[in-house]
Amino acid sequence: MEKIQLFATCIIDTLYPQVGMAVVRVLERVGGEVAFPQRQTCCGQPAFNAGMRPQAQKMAEHTIKVFEVTTGPVVVPSGSCAAMIRHGYLELFDGDPSWFQQAKNLAERTFEFTEFLVDYLGVADVGACFRSSVAYHSSCHLLRDLGVSEQPRALLSAVEGLDFIELPYSDDCCGFGGIFSVEFPEVSTAMLERKITNIEMCGADVITSCDGGCITHINGGLNQRGKTPLALHIAEILEKKQK
Amino acid sequence: MPDIFQTQIKNALADPNLQSALDTNAENRLHARVQGYASLREEWLILRERAHGVRDETIANLDQYLTQFIDKVESNGIIVHKAEDASEAVQIVLDIAQHSDAQLIAKSKTMVSEEIGLNHAMTSTGIRVVETDLGEYIIQLRNEPPAHIITPAVHLKREQVGQTFHEKLGVPLTNDIATMTSVARQELRQIFLNADIGISGVNFGVADTGTLCMVTNEGNGRMVTTIPPVHIALMGIERLVPSMDDLALMLALLPRSATGQKITVYVNLINSPRQTEDADGPFERHLVLVNNGRTALRTSPLSEALLCIRCGAGLNACPVFREIGGHSYVNPNGKPSTYPGPIGSIVSPGLFGQSEFGQLARASSLCGACKEACPVDIDLPKLLLRVRAGGISMQPGRAESKISLSVQLGMKIYAWLVTKPKIFAFSQQIAGLATSLLPGDPHWMQVPGFTGWGRSRDLPKPSRHPFRSWWADRPIKEMEVELSDNVEHEVLREKRLNSQAEKSDTKSLIDWFAAELSALDGRFELIESDGGRDAQILKLGEQILSLLHGKDISSIMSWQTDQLPSGLVDYLKDHGIQVVQKADPSIKAGLTGVLAAIAETGTLVLHSGPERLQAASLLPEVHIAVLEARAIFSGMDQVFNLDELMDSAAVTLISGPSRTADIEMTLSLGVHGPREVYVFCLSD
Repeated sequence: MEKIQLFATCIIDTLYPQVGMAVVRVLERVGGEVAFPQRQTCCGQPAFNAGMRPQAQKMAEHTIKVFEVTTGPVVVPSGSCAAMIRHGYLELFDGDPSWFQQAKNLAERTFEFTEFLVDYLGVADVGACFRSSVAYHSSCHLLRDLGVSEQPRALLSAVEGLDFIELPYSDDCCGFGGIFSVEFPEVSTAMLERKITNIEMCGADVITSCDGGCITHINGGLNQRGKTPLALHIAEILEKKQK
Repeated sequence: MPDIFQTQIKNALADPNLQSALDTNAENRLHARVQGYASLREEWLILRERAHGVRDETIANLDQYLTQFIDKVESNGIIVHKAEDASEAVQIVLDIAQHSDAQLIAKSKTMVSEEIGLNHAMTSTGIRVVETDLGEYIIQLRNEPPAHIITPAVHLKREQVGQTFHEKLGVPLTNDIATMTSVARQELRQIFLNADIGISGVNFGVADTGTLCMVTNEGNGRMVTTIPPVHIALMGIERLVPSMDDLALMLALLPRSATGQKITVYVNLINSPRQTEDADGPFERHLVLVNNGRTALRTSPLSEALLCIRCGAGLNACPVFREIGGHSYVNPNGKPSTYPGPIGSIVSPGLFGQSEFGQLARASSLCGACKEACPVDIDLPKLLLRVRAGGISMQPGRAESKISLSVQLGMKIYAWLVTKPKIFAFSQQIAGLATSLLPGDPHWMQVPGFTGWGRSRDLPKPSRHPFRSWWADRPIKEMEVELSDNVEHEVLREKRLNSQAEKSDTKSLIDWFAAELSALDGRFELIESDGGRDAQILKLGEQILSLLHGKDISSIMSWQTDQLPSGLVDYLKDHGIQVVQKADPSIKAGLTGVLAAIAETGTLVLHSGPERLQAASLLPEVHIAVLEARAIFSGMDQVFNLDELMDSAAVTLISGPSRTADIEMTLSLGVHGPREVYVFCLSD
C-alpha cells in the first residue's frame, strides 16, 4: 500500500490532538503506513467561507505545495476540509490554469477518513470495540458535498458492543457554518438548540461525527448549558479495542 | 454588518407565532416533498440531472430561444412587449391599462410584479389592483410583502388572518379556515367578474410553440387569464423551456418540489387570445418580457441562479429560513428582498445590486440542504460563496464591504500565519500555554458574548501538546495488524430512492385514473357499456340528474350539445334541468366533456373552442365532466403530443377540486374554482 499522507486539519491539530492520534492508530491497524508532512497548517476554508478569496488562495497554495512533494492518498479526518480541497480549490483556482491543474491533482488524491477506509481500502470493520450507545450526526459538507453517508454508518455498525441509535434529523445542520456562527450567532444558536434537543431526545451516550467543526459547536453548546460534552470524532470510537 | 438585518433576525427569532408557522412550513413541506419524489416514474436524481441539463442549455442559448419564442408568441396573436428594467415594465402595463380604460385589475400571483413594484405604481395612478391568490390577498390586506415565493402568507397564524379579515372586510371574527376561504371566495368572485384586466405571471414559456404555462391550485390563475377581456402576462426572460417535452419534465418536478403534489390542480397552457368563434376567453393578450438585470446576471459568475424554476424547495429546506422567515432578508434600509431564502440571497444581489443585498449571502451555514432539495440541481452553496466573494463582479473590494473589520483583520493575520508553518506551530504552543493558565475548567473556556461565539457556546482550550508535537515525539510505531483481507466489504452507497415501479399492465388506466382522482378529492363513476351506447347514455343522464337533484340544482352551465355524448343534454332538459350555454356566475353546476385524461395524476384535459365554454369548468361550485374511457392516457407527455393542444387558444389541465393551503398549510377546497369535481367515465 502507498504511504498515506495525513492532513490533520488545523482544528484537530490544535484542539483535538487525540483525534489525530486515533486516526493514525486506526489507519495503521488496517495496515496503512502514515506520514504527516510537518509544514501543513490550514486548508484555507475559513477565508474561503468568509468571502476573502485572495487570502484563501494563499492558504490553498500553501497546502498544495506541502502535499505536492509527497505521493499517495491524502487522508483528511474532517468532511468540510476534505470538501474544501476536493471542490473548493477547483472553484478558487478556476481561471488560473497552472494552479488549477495542481489543485486538481491534489483533489483527486484527497479522501475524507471514513470514505478512505470504506471506499478506498474496502474496510468496514476496523476491529474496534466500544460498549456504548452511539448516535451519528451527519456533517453537512461530508454528506452533501462529498456524498458520504453510508460509510460512517457501516464503520459504526461493525464496532463490537456498539449500540447504534438513530439521531432524529441527523442530516440537519448543527448551525456551525464557520464564520456564520459568529456573524449570525442568534440563528446559529437556534439551529444548535434544535440539534441539542434531538441529541437529548435520542438518549445516546455518545454523539459522533466526522468533522471537528460540528464537534466543537455541539460540545461547546452542551458545555455552556452545563451538560456533558458527549460528541466524539468517529476516529475516537474506531480506535477503541477490546481490553 | 448591517444592523437592520440583524435586528430583523432577532425580532423573527423572538416572535413565537412566526416560529410556530415556520416550523409547520418546514415539517410539512419536507414530508410532502419526499412523498412527491417517491411518486415519480423515474429516480428523482436522474430526472433532476436531466432538468438541470435542459435549463442549463436554455440559459446558455437564451438569446436564440427568446427570439424563437417571441416569433411564435407573436404569430399566435399575443402582443409581446420587452422591458429592459422595472420602470419600463411598469410603464408598459400602465399604458395597456390606460388604453383599455381599466379601473380594476385582478392579479394572480407573480413574483416578477413584486420585483418591479407593479402594484404600488398602478395604485398611485388610481387603478385598483386586487391580488387573488388567497395568500397574496391576505398580505395585500395587511399591506405586507410576500414572506415566501410560493406561500406568501407562510408567516401568519389563522388567528392573525381572521383578525385581518375582520378588520379589513368587516366580517365576523373567526378562526375557522374554511370560513375564511369562503369569505375570500365571495369577495374575490366579484373582482374576477368585474375586472377590466387580468394580470398573471408565467411559470414556463415554451420556445418552439410559444405556449405560456401557468400552474395554480386555487383557480385564480385560470380566472384572471379567462374571464377579464384583457390578459397581461408578466414573465422573466429566463423562464423558458425549449419544447413541450421539456415542459412535461419541469411539470413533473415543479409541483412535487413545491408542495409535494404530483400536479397542481390547474395547469394552464395559453397559446393565443380568444379565437374568433370561441365561447369565451380574453380578446386581447399581452406578454411583457422583463429583463431587469437578467442579461447581466447571465454573463456573470452567478448565472446558474437563472436556472431556478421558483418552486420554493430551497426555502423550505433551509434551516436559516426556518428560523428567520422571508421578511428578515432585508437591504440596509430595511426593505425586504423580493426573493428571500438561499436563492434570494443570490438572485437579489445579482439582479438588484451587491451593495444592496450582498450581505444576505452571509446568513447561511452553507449546509447545502437547498442544493439537495433543488429540482434543477443548482449549486447554491457555491453561488452563495461567490456572492460573499464579491458577487456579480467577483471583485475583492466588493466583498470586503460586507465583511466586518474585525473578521477581515483576524482572517488576514490567520492567512499570514498559515503560510508560515514554523510561526504557526509556535503560535499553537503559545495559545496552549496561555489558555492553560486561565482559571476554571482545564478543557473549556468561556469567551465573551460580543465575539458572537460566547453567548451560547464555550470554546475548547487549545491543547498544550498539539498533534504535530505528538507526531514529532512519536516512538517507532507499533504495527498492530496487517490489513485483513478477510474483512467483508459491504456494498455501500446503494441508493434506495423509491422509484415507483411502472404501473402493471393488468391495472387498467381507468382504475389508475380513478384512484388518483379520488386521492385528490375528486369523485369518479364508471358507466359500463354492457347494454349498448343508448342505455349507457341513459344511465349517465340518470346519474347526473340524481346528482343535481341531490344538490337541489335545477340549472347548469354547459358545453354545446354536440360536444357531449349525443342525447345527454336533451335528456337533462326533458327532465326539467335548465341548460345555459354561456357564462353565468349564478349557476351552481357546470357540465363539460373532456379532451383527454391523464391516469398518473388524475388529470382532466380541457381545451377552449367555440362550443366549449371554459367558464363551465371554472365558475360553478360543482364541475361535472364526462370522460370517454378511450381518452385516458397514462402520462402527461403523451397528452402533450395531441394536436388539439396547440390548436386551441387555451388548454387547462384540471386535477381535482380547487384547493388552497395558504393559511397554516391547512387544506381547504373550492377557494376559487369548483369545490367538487365529478367525473363520469363512459367505458368503451
